[in-house]
Amino acid sequence: MTEARRYGVLHETLDDIGERTDVSLRCIEHEPEVWESRMQVTCECLSEGGALDNLERRHLEDRLGETVYARFPVQTRSALTVAHTLMDRGFFDEEELRSKMDQVREKMTVD
Amino acid sequence: MTSMHDGHDGHNTFPVSSKVSEFEILELAVRELAIEKGIFSAEDHRRFAEWADGVGPHGGSKLVAKAWSDPAFKEKLLTKGTEACKEVGIDWLQPTGTGTPSDYTFFYVLENTPKVHNVIVCTLCSCYPRPVLGMSPDWYRTPAYRRRMVNRPREVLAEFGLHLPDDVEVRVHDSNQKSRFMVMPMRPDGTEGWSEQELAEIVTRDTMIGVALPDPKVRVPVPAGEVHQ
Repeated sequence: MTEARRYGVLHETLDDIGERTDVSLRCIEHEPEVWESRMQVTCECLSEGGALDNLERRHLEDRLGETVYARFPVQTRSALTVAHTLMDRGFFDEEELRSKMDQVREKMTVD
Repeated sequence: MTSMHDGHDGHNTFPVSSKVSEFEILELAVRELAIEKGIFSAEDHRRFAEWADGVGPHGGSKLVAKAWSDPAFKEKLLTKGTEACKEVGIDWLQPTGTGTPSDYTFFYVLENTPKVHNVIVCTLCSCYPRPVLGMSPDWYRTPAYRRRMVNRPREVLAEFGLHLPDDVEVRVHDSNQKSRFMVMPMRPDGTEGWSEQELAEIVTRDTMIGVALPDPKVRVPVPAGEVHQ
């Protein structure tokens, strides 16, 4: 198994979400935020379109979530894995993602 | 404070807030890039989102409450799961006509008895009966739950506060690409004469996964009427 790449644009989100702190299964419980459910919808679309099969994604979530992104809260694994894998597969690169995040941040933020 | 607004192109809804999280930004950025690259369309995403917003544990709650109240329906639910689901408005073929890429499959309801307690898990990945229970909880998807539940179920159940007598057999059902499971808990004492709506409110998500038992004192609101997906 090859070592996973490290994408700075994804690791930079850790400061905002905060490190994983759960110590038991029940501690992991939380009310899903809108972005989490929308991410699951994106996962279905990616699987239906053939870009990233759901079962393959779940295996990647396990692998990346327990290694490269082990410090991140469990609920972030789908988002990190999807972004990571789409970059690995060349659908877009790190600079495109960073630029798009800047655009989104600008239009979502109200002074 | 967060409110919802339409995006510039009319297909995105996103929160406009004085504090937007980086994961809100990441999610929308990935989605927009995928649409721009032609991986899927905004319409595809809207269609799946509409379906996802309509599913939740209230679907399973209604199934169990109806089964507790109607022996004929209970028999149908235990033998023809997907057919029985239609009677409360749940169609496993939605939202595409062939289900979702990960959901349409065989659906089995597992009846708890005084001597058998059922629990569901997916050791392979995290298969979950979303048309009847909605999104899976985060802990259900963790290797810590998936690996340990099959090896030390009583220990894991105890972490959820569920301590079963030694003479109750614990059966752990491992989902797979062909099968989805849901637990039908036993109707608790003290609910005699309750309506289906009242019963549905004590059938929580965790009772249908099998990590909890219904408690007449613990009620979760369930929308009245059929499930709308």
